[in-house]
Amino acid sequence: MPDIAALRKQAWDAFEQAGLPTTRQEEWKYTSLARIGSTLGEAWWTAADPASLDDADIEALAIPELDAWRVVFANGRLIRGATHLPDGLTLSPLSELLTGNAQQAAVALQWQDDAPLFNGTLAANSALAEDGLCLCLTDGVKLDKPVYMLHIAGNGGASHLRHGLWLGKNSEAHVIEHYAGVNEEPGLTHAVTLVHLGAGAHLYHDRLQDESPKHFHLGRLHATQGRDSMLSSHAVGLGASLSRLDLAVDLAAPGASCILNGLYMPTGRQHCDHHTQIDHSAPHCISREHYRGVLDGRAHGVFNGKVVVHQGASGTDSAQSNANLLLSDKAEVDAKPELVIHHDDVKAAHGCTVGQLDDKQLFYLKTRGMSDEEARQMLTFAFADSVLTGMRVPAVRRFIEKRAFSKLPLGADAEAMLG
Amino acid sequence: MLKIENLHASVDGKKILKGIDLTIKPGEVHAIMGPNGSGKSTLSNVIAGRDGYEVTAGSISFHGKDLLAMQPEERAWAGVFLAFQYPVEIPGVNNVYLLKAGVNARRRHLGLEELDAMEFMQLVREKARLVELDQAFLSRGVNEGFSGGEKKRNEIFQMAVLEPSLAILDETDSGLDIDALRVVAGGVNKLRSPERSIIMVTHYQRLLDYIEPDVVHVLADGKILKSGDRTLALELEKRGYDWVREEAAHA
Repeated sequence: MPDIAALRKQAWDAFEQAGLPTTRQEEWKYTSLARIGSTLGEAWWTAADPASLDDADIEALAIPELDAWRVVFANGRLIRGATHLPDGLTLSPLSELLTGNAQQAAVALQWQDDAPLFNGTLAANSALAEDGLCLCLTDGVKLDKPVYMLHIAGNGGASHLRHGLWLGKNSEAHVIEHYAGVNEEPGLTHAVTLVHLGAGAHLYHDRLQDESPKHFHLGRLHATQGRDSMLSSHAVGLGASLSRLDLAVDLAAPGASCILNGLYMPTGRQHCDHHTQIDHSAPHCISREHYRGVLDGRAHGVFNGKVVVHQGASGTDSAQSNANLLLSDKAEVDAKPELVIHHDDVKAAHGCTVGQLDDKQLFYLKTRGMSDEEARQMLTFAFADSVLTGMRVPAVRRFIEKRAFSKLPLGADAEAMLG
Repeated sequence: MLKIENLHASVDGKKILKGIDLTIKPGEVHAIMGPNGSGKSTLSNVIAGRDGYEVTAGSISFHGKDLLAMQPEERAWAGVFLAFQYPVEIPGVNNVYLLKAGVNARRRHLGLEELDAMEFMQLVREKARLVELDQAFLSRGVNEGFSGGEKKRNEIFQMAVLEPSLAILDETDSGLDIDALRVVAGGVNKLRSPERSIIMVTHYQRLLDYIEPDVVHVLADGKILKSGDRTLALELEKRGYDWVREEAAHA
């Protein structure tokens, strides 16, 4: 039996030794975590008090009209589980596994002794995560509706969450991670999701970070893909004062493919950082990545898209694009595509743009009767929405569109525009 | 309806229009012809209110109001429509949504009730038939992936839906094959009415075989050098523009 307490201590020691990443590290050049430490102090690693939320509180934040198995976390603890699960699907709270099935907890959360702890924040998560969801899907099982994980952050303290999504061979699932909250005191959400896709498995994964503008958010998604498996990811960053998402995909077996789409829309003084890494470790894998940013006010956006083509990865086909729209001359974006190629016989393309709204398009819309503001809003929306067109469930896409719209200057008219 | 007096305009400090006088009455169709670079498109853009065109002298009054003091969208609400020479592709903005927003913005401005979704779709379907536009185009992004002919047809379709009192067709015939030209011109003819005036900017006589103008003007070197009836266009086709220039120089 693995000794959870010993593993936690090992992780904590690693965290203490490495410390938090600093801006001297290339991967953290544009994002300083110092503000989290200075704002939260001890609360950085102190678990937030369990929140008491009633059904009305939950419904007010949840995606409406979504037919899904819903699991709700508040301040990092599971408060509502899902029922009526089909055969082949298990949704186990980490908190239960930690006391009842340490073996499964250790495996599901990759707490093996030799597992690399990556960096300071992941080690801290290993040491501190109290709860999370371990989703296991048996070979060949295809879910006919999504699993919806709603995370609600409350006042103060930190929520360290660790999720594991394990999809057996040829299984298929759609998982939605939604991070929300209306807290007025700053707090931290630190959520790590580890994904394992068996051969031929398909995962549709939507991640919406829409937390309170006082909040801090550190997110991570690590996926390892088996032969001919497929991951379709949409990551949207709208909320939090400072947020960072690290998304890493290892195309570890031949024929695996991934689509990574993302949208970030920081306004005011928000800081929003998306770091992605795709490893082409095996031959004949396909990756497609398309991230867009809309930045207003004095916001700061960061996009780093790294694609590594490893030796032996013949027939790699990779394309990446990143486009940014600056709505204000005080907004700033640091965008960096990074291609590292260790193999010939590779098709790889990447492009990155930063710009403003197109004058010709604005004029065209105005000659049709749009006001200047309306025309700007419409073009901004169209720009942002293009990365959402592949989303699978209309209720989720519609909800994200509305939330994104509410951040634009004419937010109130958004519903009319969405028809 | 439209009265342009002594209009001078520059682009990037370069004088393009050098004293245009033009009066158009309700229901009239005027063709403005001229060689490339004569200022035809500049005139269209100045009437529609595009940025980057500086009016240095003169005036434009539309239904008795000072058009030059209005924003482009205010001109649209007042009834001005520009069919673009190069219609812009706007991926992600739905054709029907754009038109609904345009129609209702204008109705609000005129103090009319907005059309609801049902009424609007009825209007749109009826107008799409008028210009033989495939219904499938309606739900696509504005001009997104349209062929040249489809874009021009979409412009006339928008004109049909927005029902302007003054439509400027800027080189609507360019890039059209003869079948597409026939459809587009047919749409325009159906939209002719005693209240609606049309300015056709073109350098080919061909369009005028399909849409018969009341008046033909020759624009060259930033001025209207000669005006006449349809036969002037035929003469231009035969003799080119130089004789008009020479005539004007000796006048």
